[in-house]
Amino acid sequence: MNKENFLEVRGLKKYFDAGRLRLFSRETRFVHAVDGVSFNLRRSEVLALVGESGCGKSTLSLLLMGLENPTEGSISFEGRDITHLNDHERKGLRRKIQMVFQDPYESLNPTQTIEEIINEPLLVHGIAKDKKERDERVKKAMEDAGLKPAEVYLSRFPHELSGGQRQRVVIAAALVLEPEILLADEPVSMLDVSIRAEIINLLAELRITRQIAVIFITHDLGSVGFFADRVAVMYLGRIVEIGTMLEVLEKPEHPYTKALISVIPVPNPRLRHERIILQGETPSPIDVPSGCRFHPRCPVAIAICKDSDPPFIALSKTHQAACLLLVK
Amino acid sequence: MNRTRTLLKKIAWAVFTILFVIVLNFFLFRVLPGDPARAGIRDPRLKKEAVEMLRVRFGLDKPVINCFESLNPIKVGSCAVNPLDTQFFIYIGNLFQGELGISYHTNRPVADILSERLWNTVLLIGAGQILSIIIGVIFGVFAAWKAHTSIDYSAVITSLMVWSLPTFWLAIILLFWGSSNGLPLAGKATPGSSSLPLLQQWADIFRHMLLPTLTYTIVYMGEYTLIMRSSLIDVLSEDYILTAKAKGLSTFQILKDHALKNAMLPLVTIIAINLGFTVAGAIQIEAVFSWPGLGGAIFEAVGRRDFPVLQGAFLLIAVTVIFANLIADLTYSYLDPRVQTE
Amino acid sequence: METTILVAKPKSQWLVRLLNFWRVFTKNSIGIVGLAMLVVIILMAIFAPAIAPYDSSSSAEFQVGDIYNPPSAAHWFGTDDAGQDVFSNFVFGARVSLIVGFFAAFISIIIGGVLGLVAGFFGGRWENLLMRFTDIMLVIPDLPLMVVIVALTKPSLMNIIFVIGILGWTTTARVVRSQTLAVKSRKFVLRARAVGAGNGHIIAHHILPLVMPILVVQAVLVVSLAILNESTLSFLGLGDPTALSWGQMLNYAFGRGAMSIGAWWALLFPGLGIVWVVLGLTLLGQGLEQVLNPRLDTHHLMPSKPTVQSGRVELNPEKGALLEVQNLSIHYINEGKPAARAVEDISFTLSKGELIGLVGESGCGKTTLMLSLLRLLPSAGQIVNGRVFFNGKDLTAVGDEELNTIRWKEISIVFQGAMNALNPVRTVGEQIAEAIVKHMPAMPHEQLQARVTELLDLVGIAADHKEHYPHQYSGGMRQRAMIAMALACNPQVIIADEPTTALDVMIQAQILELLDSLRKKLGLAIIFVTHDLGVVAEICDKVLVMYGGVTAEYADVDTIYNEPRHPYTQELLKAFPDLTKPKKKLSSIPGYPPRLDALPAGCRFAPRCPLAFDRCRTEQPLLHKLGDMHFASCHLVEASK
Repeated sequence: MNKENFLEVRGLKKYFDAGRLRLFSRETRFVHAVDGVSFNLRRSEVLALVGESGCGKSTLSLLLMGLENPTEGSISFEGRDITHLNDHERKGLRRKIQMVFQDPYESLNPTQTIEEIINEPLLVHGIAKDKKERDERVKKAMEDAGLKPAEVYLSRFPHELSGGQRQRVVIAAALVLEPEILLADEPVSMLDVSIRAEIINLLAELRITRQIAVIFITHDLGSVGFFADRVAVMYLGRIVEIGTMLEVLEKPEHPYTKALISVIPVPNPRLRHERIILQGETPSPIDVPSGCRFHPRCPVAIAICKDSDPPFIALSKTHQAACLLLVK
Repeated sequence: MNRTRTLLKKIAWAVFTILFVIVLNFFLFRVLPGDPARAGIRDPRLKKEAVEMLRVRFGLDKPVINCFESLNPIKVGSCAVNPLDTQFFIYIGNLFQGELGISYHTNRPVADILSERLWNTVLLIGAGQILSIIIGVIFGVFAAWKAHTSIDYSAVITSLMVWSLPTFWLAIILLFWGSSNGLPLAGKATPGSSSLPLLQQWADIFRHMLLPTLTYTIVYMGEYTLIMRSSLIDVLSEDYILTAKAKGLSTFQILKDHALKNAMLPLVTIIAINLGFTVAGAIQIEAVFSWPGLGGAIFEAVGRRDFPVLQGAFLLIAVTVIFANLIADLTYSYLDPRVQTE
Repeated sequence: METTILVAKPKSQWLVRLLNFWRVFTKNSIGIVGLAMLVVIILMAIFAPAIAPYDSSSSAEFQVGDIYNPPSAAHWFGTDDAGQDVFSNFVFGARVSLIVGFFAAFISIIIGGVLGLVAGFFGGRWENLLMRFTDIMLVIPDLPLMVVIVALTKPSLMNIIFVIGILGWTTTARVVRSQTLAVKSRKFVLRARAVGAGNGHIIAHHILPLVMPILVVQAVLVVSLAILNESTLSFLGLGDPTALSWGQMLNYAFGRGAMSIGAWWALLFPGLGIVWVVLGLTLLGQGLEQVLNPRLDTHHLMPSKPTVQSGRVELNPEKGALLEVQNLSIHYINEGKPAARAVEDISFTLSKGELIGLVGESGCGKTTLMLSLLRLLPSAGQIVNGRVFFNGKDLTAVGDEELNTIRWKEISIVFQGAMNALNPVRTVGEQIAEAIVKHMPAMPHEQLQARVTELLDLVGIAADHKEHYPHQYSGGMRQRAMIAMALACNPQVIIADEPTTALDVMIQAQILELLDSLRKKLGLAIIFVTHDLGVVAEICDKVLVMYGGVTAEYADVDTIYNEPRHPYTQELLKAFPDLTKPKKKLSSIPGYPPRLDALPAGCRFAPRCPLAFDRCRTEQPLLHKLGDMHFASCHLVEASK
């Protein structure tokens, strides 16, 4: 099997019905939540998907998990098309792709004990019917997620744990199925700074010990350094720039990426610098601007940006950006 | 644009509900075992011809609905007649002309009997609702404002206790109390009072209304107190109250300008939902105090098995409640800016 | 909680939960009283033949002289219109009322529960239709409908149970549906789906456990409504003539002259029976509600605790400082629990035009500290020591009236979540104008409106948004409006409590730039509360790092970032991602911040500190002065001094 097409996403689109404009109008409007996204993920690779709210990254994660059906495009996993699956096939695939959610307070059922929570995936999939084997898998998942010793946590309830511990429980509940891809949707944004590094380091460790590929979805470009292999920047339903972590952070080419990087606070007052602050807000995904969708806010836009949609320009073997200024 | 749309939707919905009630009302009285043909005209002393005459008089000789003959329990008429010449369509047709049939008991048109009674019920429920809401809101505001003090606890316990009172029983107890205090015990006016000057007539009605309204108010104020209390506590723990406090506003200003309107909004919905239940209170109160309203009509009709009156009263009550509900609903969307623009 | 971990794992989780629930419930006096009232009446109904002095059905030795006898030794509750013993009928009547109540409620709960669950969980076309039907049934007045149906059918006990049961489900369906909808949209249900769980599993393991508490409370309510409905129907003459319920006793007595004879006993006692049961159920329901769905029931208008000064030396305000906080300590006092020492011994100064960063993790007491400056603490919070001097005036000591003239006029606040900090039913313009009217009541209307427009313009909001409501604003605009509101009375100090936390990076940058430019333009002094070290580095002049309620380190911004002396500051900086060094591995601080009601004995950071030694675990370090404008509270600092 080609290492390149472990997970392959091609031209993925998701439009939501936004209702009619007027009572008797025929024209239905759509939210262009995800509007043509393509990328590859390699085995045990960490890909960071970065963008502001409304860029479609959360919808993209639901599409990848099969929790929403795409309007167009395809997703394939290990060479097999998984865009449209029946319930049985989907369930089988769930063991391979697991998800970690943003808010560890909300993503745990308050009435379940930690043991029930981590055991649940095994129960659902009917894996390890033998109690001893099940206990062992639960324990291993917990210890891999840094909940040591596991016995201390088993009979506790989520509200008795701290935010970081809860996020570890969520990760353990994902690990217990031994997935190959972990989709982490803003897994640290609700946690305190001193805890964030721990969770990121844990994910970084897992990709080495368990060969897990991670799709790390975040709004904070600052947190992807060191951890991510590649970074994809999204704006209004599209990827506008993708490349290795160093390429994107140190040599950004798309004006949006440049602005995004410039506003990330640097924890050193001696390095206070000029920031490119984009004015206004991301336009509504219902009325997507013509041409390059970034042109109304782009500080370096030229006349043609208004009319033509920029193609992806290859800047190196691994680095691409969609900007008309890069066309030579 | 959207606002008109919601408005139209709500009105259409209310109309649909009324149609549903009309159909339900018709079939209840035709399908259930105690149908008028058997119950009302079942006097063994009547001759066969007399029964037949009565059937014709009340329109019971027609098929129920043309092609659902099985729904007609007495199997009269046939499918061959004019498709609209059936009990159902005649009933609908009469409804649109404001006719509700003829009372078995008094032989008067039901519509006449009920129309004079409707306003008495509206008067009673109106006065009772307004009083119980005012008192409930005041108690609720104090209970919430002084949460966890003895004022709060006594308001809550009192509310739970009055909530638990069966309405008719409270009415009886108050009737007892009233009889020893010289208050009028039954009806809406003293017989013969219609010859008095208008002002004295009103005073007479007022005296007759005292006990029924008092019963109504006591029974429903507890619920409004509890709802207002919890709604206001919710609002008062919101961040914008802290903002108002940080602005230097006084407690009174905060309550008046920031808390009351927000806390009253859920109350409007509850009042709307409650209307259907408050009618239950009116029936009991009118039964005990012989108040000449719709509830009293129902009570009497049940006793006399006077089905046309029962049918008409039920329809009128249901339609009035649906209508009042619509008004409450529209008021809510007018008051809450969040609904208007969604 | 510790015990459940130590003892051997019990066989049945459900049994443990039930026992836990019972333990909590027994502490709820309302619920216990209700339950006791109910148990008494249920026992009476079960043992009715043993309790009742007379057989209820036989009135064989009926004599005219027995009619409506007042209560006596032979007839405790007197006799009724048929000369029967009211007490005996009362005892047997409990059976009828309870049977109808429980069975009818059972039918209602099953129908309502299933319909609500289906409509809420699946939410397809048919389910919407179901809910529409529920809406219709909810509007139709139920008692008249019951009257009609019972009047048209045979008034047998079975019929009455059935009619009350199938007409009483609507509120249950609504309540269950809205709770199901709420639970369904929670993230843990999405997580269960992502794990691969089907609908059956999700309903059984995630929806039902959270719908149950609501359903239990609702069930108690439905039972009481069913009992009330039965008594009403019986009173109206629609009861089963073969089963004498309380309502029917009242019907007979009321219809057969008890009123005119003055036989109050025949009317009073059956009614009291109904009140007793319904009140018992209501109290039980209230108690269950408090235990199963607890709410805090505290709010911002509850009286605050008075400030106390624990007899320290009177301090005088420093000359030239605009705002000076001296040795401020705040405790949260909850009955039956040890006081939570949320803030201890914090001091800092703020001069005109200065921007101080108040940095710390969640639960470190920074919000408490900020609220205490204007005495806006929740009712459990109390200033137990320290002073807040504003222009030489002690804000912890001034009267409420005077404080209200300082609030917003001199010191205003930009709150964290602007969506919640703005009143949703009043326009933004109104809310800004309100602050001005409060403090400058003499301002004429036109000038006021012009001022509101000017303020909105200052923060970059077009004037036509003045008449809009907060929900019509985007997140960034709301925060701008909040800033405009804070500027309304030209205050000298603005407290900004995490004003950018929930916002996107670009909007965050816009807001920071705005605050910074306003500070320069208007000469504002700002206290910037945040957990984000990067933001602080960008705009602050000096920084106070808090940990577990105390000052860890307090210095000018350059010192904090380049020569931090407190291990917490050092570790925090290492844990913060720095884009200028993308390859650097982040180091994390093991463990978790302390809980304020269970603080460690010595240094509050000691359990997590990589450099901690014995003394740190027993003795709380003092705040040491390391330079003109550099303080740190660490034993190591003292050693190196």
